[in-house]
Amino acid sequence: MGKHKKGLAVCAVAILLLLAASLLAGYHGRAESVQEAMRDAVLHSENQIPFLGGKAVNPALISAFTVTAILLVLAALIRIFAIPRFKLIPGKFQLVIEEAVGLFDNMAKQNSPHRNGFLGAYIFGAGAYIFVGTLFELLGLQATTTHGQPITLPAPLSDVNAAIGLGVLSYLVILSGGIAGNGAGGIGKTLKEFSLPISMSFRLFGALLSGLLVTELVYYYLHLSFVLPVIVGVLFTLLHAIIQTYVLTMLTALYYGEVSEPAHKVKKAKAN
Amino acid sequence: MSNIPLNIDWQQILLHWMNLAILVGGLYFILFKPVKQFMDKRQQHYKDLEDQANGKLKEAEDIKDQYQAKLDGVEVELHEARAKVQQAVEKSTQEQLAQAKKQAQQIVDKARIEAEHSKEKVMKEAQRELKQLATEAAEKIAFKSDVDPFDQFLNLAEGGKGNEIR
Repeated sequence: MGKHKKGLAVCAVAILLLLAASLLAGYHGRAESVQEAMRDAVLHSENQIPFLGGKAVNPALISAFTVTAILLVLAALIRIFAIPRFKLIPGKFQLVIEEAVGLFDNMAKQNSPHRNGFLGAYIFGAGAYIFVGTLFELLGLQATTTHGQPITLPAPLSDVNAAIGLGVLSYLVILSGGIAGNGAGGIGKTLKEFSLPISMSFRLFGALLSGLLVTELVYYYLHLSFVLPVIVGVLFTLLHAIIQTYVLTMLTALYYGEVSEPAHKVKKAKAN
Repeated sequence: MSNIPLNIDWQQILLHWMNLAILVGGLYFILFKPVKQFMDKRQQHYKDLEDQANGKLKEAEDIKDQYQAKLDGVEVELHEARAKVQQAVEKSTQEQLAQAKKQAQQIVDKARIEAEHSKEKVMKEAQRELKQLATEAAEKIAFKSDVDPFDQFLNLAEGGKGNEIR
């Protein structure tokens, strides 16, 4: 009990010291107004980053490639060190990995019973991308803009290009399922849902962007940067990472299953 | 291109597609496929175990049925064996009884023969004694007595009572 009190006291003192130091360091103000900052968070027209030293791209593209690199490195480490040691009765880590794979695989099987091999792999990749990509903004990785200014890398899907990319790609995957399952009829079935790529893209964009805007708004004012980000930044980000992952993967699986389901031909009874 | 609203850039969308293709393909081959293979393998392993258990259960049921049938057959066999044993015991008893009767008959015959022999022997002995007594009586009568020899003879023949009276 005494140790706990001592630890709490040390924490409180440290927080107060950091707060005092940050206030004493002074606030020189931001170079851009809150309107400009939020407008740039949406449009990415000002702060861009050179991609491979060439074309200037939105920071979210760099975030996207970083997320991919992180995920692939993690996957490779798991493949090399963990999977060969997998046992019939799983441990905690094995259980988490199997649960993640089984979650998307089962989702694909349940929603698309006729054709689900590729769908499972796609929604696993897309789900991992959305989940890790959304949490990625919590890392606060820095990059340098074309103007030489430092910028915090945002969540990949807070960029409309990334959201459109994922939404349209998901629609193309659904279309491929329709073609594989029903041929030309599948194309027709998929094209009936013409609003799907737009709705999926802008749902993702809207959800991620709202999170980004709230975070941007909070962080714009220095005094709001204490305590509040724990709730705004961590909890909300975690919550909508889970929700958006579930929504996009579920929608993709659902529509994929619908368009890939073989059409039942109704036999016309011969009139005697 | 710059007139597209929301700063949409087709080139960047293509780059995002490339990124997603790398990610989905990479994750599939590095993580999804091996883990799924392992899970399928484990599922197959447990399915095999279940099949084996079911097979053994069926085998046990068959063996149980076989033994039940054998058990039912044993009842009949037991009856037959019991009847056979009973017959054998009866036969053996009859044989022993016949042999005992035969032995008894032999003993009786032997005893009868012996009795005949004894009777003959006793008769011979009695005749010999009678002869001897007669001889002795005759001698007494002839040489010693002053009584009527016929009375003496009679007395001697009646066990020597006349002598004792006198």
